[in-house]
Amino acid sequence: MSVPTETLLQAPILAGALVRSGKDADRIDGVRPRLVVEPRTAEEVAALLAWASRERLTLVLRGGGTKLGWGRVPAPIDLLVSMRGLNRMLAHEHADLTATVEAGATLEELNASLGRHRQWLPLDPAGDEATVGGAIATNDTGPLRHRYGTPRDLLIGVRLATTDGRLVKAGGNVVKNVAVYDLGKLVSGSFGSLAAIVGATFKLLPVPASSQTLSATFQDRDRAAAAVARLTESQLEPAAVELQAAHDRGRGTMAYRLLARFATSPAAAAAQVEQARALVGGGEAIMGDAEVALWRRYQRRASASAGTVLRMSWLPAALPQVLALVEEVGRTDGSVELVARAGVGTGLLRVDGASDWQAATVERVRARAEIVTYATIQDAPPEVKTKVDAWGPPGAADTVASAIKRALDPAGILNAGRGPV
Amino acid sequence: MPGGVVIGLSRLNRVLDIDIPNRRVTVEPGVTNLEITRRVAPYGYYYAPDPSSQQVCSIGGNVAENSGGAHCLKYGFTTHHVLALDAVMPDGELVHLDSAIAGATGPDLVGLIVGSEGTLAVVTRAVVRILRRPESVRTLLAAFDSISGAGAAVSEVIAAGIIPAAVEMMDALAIKAAEAAVRPGFPAADAVLIVELDGPEPEVAELFPLAERICRRTGAASIEIAASDEQRARIWKGRKAAFAAMGHVSPNYYVQDGVVPRTKLPDVLARIRQLEARCGLRIANVFHAGDGNLHPLICYDEKVPGQADRAVEAAGEILSYCVEAGGSITGEHGVGMDKREFMPKMFTDDDLDMMERVRDAIDPRHLCNPGKVFPTPRLCGEVPGPYREHPTERAGLAERF
Repeated sequence: MSVPTETLLQAPILAGALVRSGKDADRIDGVRPRLVVEPRTAEEVAALLAWASRERLTLVLRGGGTKLGWGRVPAPIDLLVSMRGLNRMLAHEHADLTATVEAGATLEELNASLGRHRQWLPLDPAGDEATVGGAIATNDTGPLRHRYGTPRDLLIGVRLATTDGRLVKAGGNVVKNVAVYDLGKLVSGSFGSLAAIVGATFKLLPVPASSQTLSATFQDRDRAAAAVARLTESQLEPAAVELQAAHDRGRGTMAYRLLARFATSPAAAAAQVEQARALVGGGEAIMGDAEVALWRRYQRRASASAGTVLRMSWLPAALPQVLALVEEVGRTDGSVELVARAGVGTGLLRVDGASDWQAATVERVRARAEIVTYATIQDAPPEVKTKVDAWGPPGAADTVASAIKRALDPAGILNAGRGPV
Repeated sequence: MPGGVVIGLSRLNRVLDIDIPNRRVTVEPGVTNLEITRRVAPYGYYYAPDPSSQQVCSIGGNVAENSGGAHCLKYGFTTHHVLALDAVMPDGELVHLDSAIAGATGPDLVGLIVGSEGTLAVVTRAVVRILRRPESVRTLLAAFDSISGAGAAVSEVIAAGIIPAAVEMMDALAIKAAEAAVRPGFPAADAVLIVELDGPEPEVAELFPLAERICRRTGAASIEIAASDEQRARIWKGRKAAFAAMGHVSPNYYVQDGVVPRTKLPDVLARIRQLEARCGLRIANVFHAGDGNLHPLICYDEKVPGQADRAVEAAGEILSYCVEAGGSITGEHGVGMDKREFMPKMFTDDDLDMMERVRDAIDPRHLCNPGKVFPTPRLCGEVPGPYREHPTERAGLAERF
């Protein structure tokens, strides 16, 4: 921090680089980065990291900027490195069902390209601008998580820029590979605090020929949970099983909506929706443009919040208790809404109200560890994050992760103290 | 490793918890892979990773190697099914680690430890995911008069947007060996292809006939469709016994494990055929055709001077073909000691240095499985080379898979 920004801008490494001073729009939790750099190649990213490490400049990596609310309020940020310049599709081996892409490409750009061969990377984290690198770094998921897993499950190779300025790879171009450590897993969920993800290779899937979604509403929480259980215990294979729980202002009670999506061959999608309808006791089958619009609306709703968005995990069979807990905290001062990957046991809780109440709600949920195993803040106003830790209480894993952090980022510059390590 | 200590985990063999509502099972590392499926089958569930050795291989070993199996094209590997681990870290701390798929945030340490070949921790407990049995399973066995014909069938199935639960291929010598060993009734052909589809009944009913038509169109000489679970089990018995069956056609054999991008299989197999002619040893091929994982079985006779060395050389050369084709030196058997020297073919010094830094951060004194995985000069006392029978095998008490 001692070096003036003007001096930093004169650094030889930035000669010819796309660099500017940080603006208000670049702020993370109110902290404005001193410089914003947009490298164009992986080599440039590696050189930037080495320089920052030598000069002890704190550095935050930004993809599409859709998940910057995640993590602690940062320490002063010297460098914000935008990865959007690295957005090339490097290979699409459609007959092998694999693709290699630079980290700054958005999932939307990637899938538009893969779609030419009727293939896709079935990841749908919230945010239209979400990038490949950001999806891996946060291991964020959307409703498709139910069937297709998380980014780490589809990642088969990764290219990283290290803080000593090297470019290294792990994994490869083949779906099956157990040669040495799977560093792709290590950086999944690392939030750019161990190394910079500059490229990734994924296994792909064919785009399902057809899709239909069953939508059913419930006024009663136990009936809603029972419907989810009947679906997940059945031999149906939905692509998504979502349960939305929101306060119904008109009636003054909670209302529940179950969405079960079936994406497969045409006859099979239609047949499974009908079977699902019989299992849950009713509902409406939605398809075509209406289905596309429904999921887009649903995704936007989940991530847009002026308040706190809490990412929670629980054992799938604890769903009734989770719904009861949501109802219980919803009876206090503000409003809550749950969007749950109900088959998996994870979801987002939107918490809107006074900031003290938001913080208290986070603590109230964390106090119920017998129901909710993890509760991390995905987005919150800085004043909430200064009251409660974004990541929650440290566990045994943190000691191990910290040792790896010290080895890979000895100067401790990456992610400017935002965590998770 | 002279002077080392071996920690045997086979007595940690209890199934600790079967939690059907949460679709998970907690086991100790000595529990066999198949035991999990056996215990949850009455509830209509199963454990997906199914290495051919599943009757005897342990979950601890599966975790160490990130084992796959015949069904991993659709269902993934061990790493996709481990929710949490209890592990003793090299500093002696016993820790519980949840994986990212169990909702943990932060670097996915479970994903790092799975497949690390015991070099990072000693796993003492694993929580694994179990899956609901698919409603429908349909299996066909197609005979082709060439490997490339069978390869074309696989390509077209995948191009049609079908992800089979399994696609397995065996060549003439492997078929002959399997016939001699367990008599699965495989047709005498240059290649057989096993294609299995599973899932909801309407989906399988729609896609299976399509896969069958593709096999016919690409030149299958005959197609047998399993009409019963018994018939399917017989087909799979032929496939899963293939390694052990080599003992029926050759006094000794060396199992190799390499991976190539699926579309490169015909090229690499052609090179293996040339190699076979050149080195004068027969090479049988058994492979997971869906994911490009090949298992050449190099036949030799240790009583004939020079043959064992030629087998080792041939096995090494095959790995070079895999790397040159853009693949990997191991798909599921791991690096261990035998393949350390091949690591630099796949990875740069920088790549390996990064991995060693991770290793050093967790195990600075290299207590866990020293000498494995990373290329180092050979240590005295090591005896690399082709497979040697265990005394229990020679005595007929145990069987190699």
